[in-house]
Amino acid sequence: MGTSLSKLTEKPNIWPWLLLSPLGIYMLIFFVVPLADVAIMSFTEPRPTLANYTKVLTGALYQRVFLNTFLTAAFVTACCLLVGYPLAYLMAHSKPRTAMLILLLVTMSFWTSFLVRTYSWMVLLGNNGPLIAFLQMIGIESPPQLLFTRFSSTLAMIHILAPYMIMNIYSVMKKIDPALIRSAESLGAKGFSLFRHVYLPLTAPGIANGSVLVFVICLGFYVTPVLLGSPREQMIAGLIGHQIEEFLAFGLGSAMAMVLLAVTLVILTIYHRRFGLDKLWG
Amino acid sequence: MNTFMRWAGFLVVLFIAAPLVIVVPMSFSDARSLQFPPPGYWLGYYRAYFTDMSWLIPTWNSILIATATMILTMLLVVPATFALVRHRFRGKGFADLMMLMPLAVPHIVMAVGYYSYFGQLRLVPTPFGVILAHTCLSVPIAFLVLSANLKGFDRNLERAAQSLGANPARTFIHVTLPILRPGLIISALFAFVQSFDETVVAIFISGRGAETLPRKMFDSIRQEADPVIAVISTLLFAIVLVGIVAPYFISTLRSRAPKPSKPTGAH
Repeated sequence: MGTSLSKLTEKPNIWPWLLLSPLGIYMLIFFVVPLADVAIMSFTEPRPTLANYTKVLTGALYQRVFLNTFLTAAFVTACCLLVGYPLAYLMAHSKPRTAMLILLLVTMSFWTSFLVRTYSWMVLLGNNGPLIAFLQMIGIESPPQLLFTRFSSTLAMIHILAPYMIMNIYSVMKKIDPALIRSAESLGAKGFSLFRHVYLPLTAPGIANGSVLVFVICLGFYVTPVLLGSPREQMIAGLIGHQIEEFLAFGLGSAMAMVLLAVTLVILTIYHRRFGLDKLWG
Repeated sequence: MNTFMRWAGFLVVLFIAAPLVIVVPMSFSDARSLQFPPPGYWLGYYRAYFTDMSWLIPTWNSILIATATMILTMLLVVPATFALVRHRFRGKGFADLMMLMPLAVPHIVMAVGYYSYFGQLRLVPTPFGVILAHTCLSVPIAFLVLSANLKGFDRNLERAAQSLGANPARTFIHVTLPILRPGLIISALFAFVQSFDETVVAIFISGRGAETLPRKMFDSIRQEADPVIAVISTLLFAIVLVGIVAPYFISTLRSRAPKPSKPTGAH
């Protein structure tokens, strides 16, 4: 019995390989090869040297753009958390009807195209828009330029990415057992200390999940910073696009792309070690 | 803490809702440039959208490309998901991880790769190039949805069918597929939407030959901010509204607890 069973399991099962091979071959040709192409171009264009990386990693312009991208991503993540946490709390602890309405709103925002939401912010912050009109109404004679600044692109990115944070935190809050809160209360915890020592740690996985997602998407964000941001304060993805479209500088663009990819993968690998990557988008 | 959270939450609701709602009055505006509140109302920009070929062709391209992407994605992902969920084999952990890779790579990085690689294969600017690229980006999303469905599948139903004399093929067609249908539909829908909304790769490789709607919108916003964009935004917003609210109402009508699906990432 024992031997026949081990024979059965030892028999190589070709089914999974047969089922996987079409996708595997497809992804090899149309995903891995183009990605490898970027990696190769970063070393060989226009000449096979390390010059592109030297330039990208030591040039003042590039360092500034990388730093700017990092700080923006960190700031956007922090703001999404600040905005998302109270809303998730409201969803998890209101009457089902209110919670459902907010959930519908957040889901709708999530599914509305990035471009549509970017365009809305153009209207809201434009020189003939409601915000400038409001500033004039309360007596500010010459309101500052809002559109095409770091302010407008950051605000729009917070708005666009907040649903990722809210969904992640909400899904964790919803699963918190009320008995845990009650027992903490019966042991004397209340107010801020209840929040700080019981509620916040229980929601930490959602915070981690949402933050990693928002940070990583923000690092590589192209559309919104290019359309709403200041041309003088680009983010890394915008600069990559600029190098390729305007100067056909494939080598330099690829080297920047590889640095962006490396940073993204390092963050995701750390996340994967702790939580498992499938949870991030699950 | 409770009152504070409530007020903060209310402000956040405003912050999230305002930009979504504002495109609707804008689309009926008769202003030539961005102006809010609009000086007057008319339907002129709706007529402009539905009669202007430079908007209709990209719309049609996007529908075509998204449909083809959806079909190709499902053909590749369905068998692969069965392999990964139902079989244990060496290298499975690695394969699972590889399925998610397209979500981990920033789209701008892929855009550079496709621009160069598809350029050499003479796939830029053709719809085929965009379909092939979008399929790669849709694979992980379709896989995540479908594998979640397949993991919750009660295999006893298949065993019951086989014990009643159905062969594996019949079991698959008459038992497995019908039970999986909602999961298949949702994952196909996600693949469609991902392609329809995808902007960055399309900007680089769709060119004049296969201009997609997001690319056209991006170019238009960058150059002149044509008010027609407000019309398209309103139409897209209306589709999303119907797509999300309709299932909610149907489920309330059936008096079941509504369960909106948790969305997955798209850049």
